[in-house]
Amino acid sequence: MARKNQENPALDMTPMIDVVFELIIFFVVTLTEAQKKDETIELEDGKHGIVLTPEELPPSHMQIDIASRDKNGKPLPKGRISMGDREITPDEIGRRVKERMKKYGEFPVLIRADFNCRHEAVARVMNACTANGLWKISFMAVNEDKTSKPGRPGRKHLDAVKRRAH
Amino acid sequence: MARKPQENPALDMTPMIDVVFELIIFFVVTIKQEDIFSKLNANRPAPSSGSASEENDTPPCTIEIGKGRDANGVIVYNKREMKRAELDQNLREVARTSKKTAIIIRATEDSPHKALVDVLDICYRNELFSVSIFTM
Repeated sequence: MARKNQENPALDMTPMIDVVFELIIFFVVTLTEAQKKDETIELEDGKHGIVLTPEELPPSHMQIDIASRDKNGKPLPKGRISMGDREITPDEIGRRVKERMKKYGEFPVLIRADFNCRHEAVARVMNACTANGLWKISFMAVNEDKTSKPGRPGRKHLDAVKRRAH
Repeated sequence: MARKPQENPALDMTPMIDVVFELIIFFVVTIKQEDIFSKLNANRPAPSSGSASEENDTPPCTIEIGKGRDANGVIVYNKREMKRAELDQNLREVARTSKKTAIIIRATEDSPHKALVDVLDICYRNELFSVSIFTM
């Protein structure tokens, strides 16, 4: 009631700024949440591969994750095959490949497999693709490690290769 | 209550700047730098077309991958078990004769994926790009 007399004709910006900040924070938080993927997967180094840029991955591309351990660190001898954090069977991959082939023609398949997983699981995924006429498969590897994980067993020997003068 | 008489019509920017700085610092500290990834392409052999390599004069090279004593797996080339650096040297010789040489990787089901990626990376390092993977 006491406010009314002070109110001046200029618009009070404060509440609007408050709301805008609230929105910015909300979107930033939900965006990082949405990009979550299988965090248990550790990739092997592949410094000589083609650097993955967003242009390198058209919207038609398909990424398949293969983990070698579950979220509690327990080893999974058969590997867990998933797409977008949802477990999937090789049959279902085959079905999706077929659907996508109809829509886009040949499209890139990227396998993001843990360095520790058995080749068998990778082969099952590859077979699901080849059974539907897709012969080109790409594997994801680490080109440059920015999130340092010291003591990662995956990287030792390639450092030895790197040290030698080419 | 003491503030009321001082309030001027111009918007006071100071608290907003404070908050913005606070936010900038928060995001700079919390943001995680992402790894840069690479991709290694390979072919799966089509059942009927074993003739892809016959276009070249050089015969294809076969590299075998199996389960080793440790997590690294074992790499066999020219019937000889070898380390990554040795394979790199050998493939460099191959690349010197012809970069179009087809590479055939034969991996057993129990071999670690790491070994396959390592071999692919070594092929890429030596610019040998026509790689196909067989599973045994």
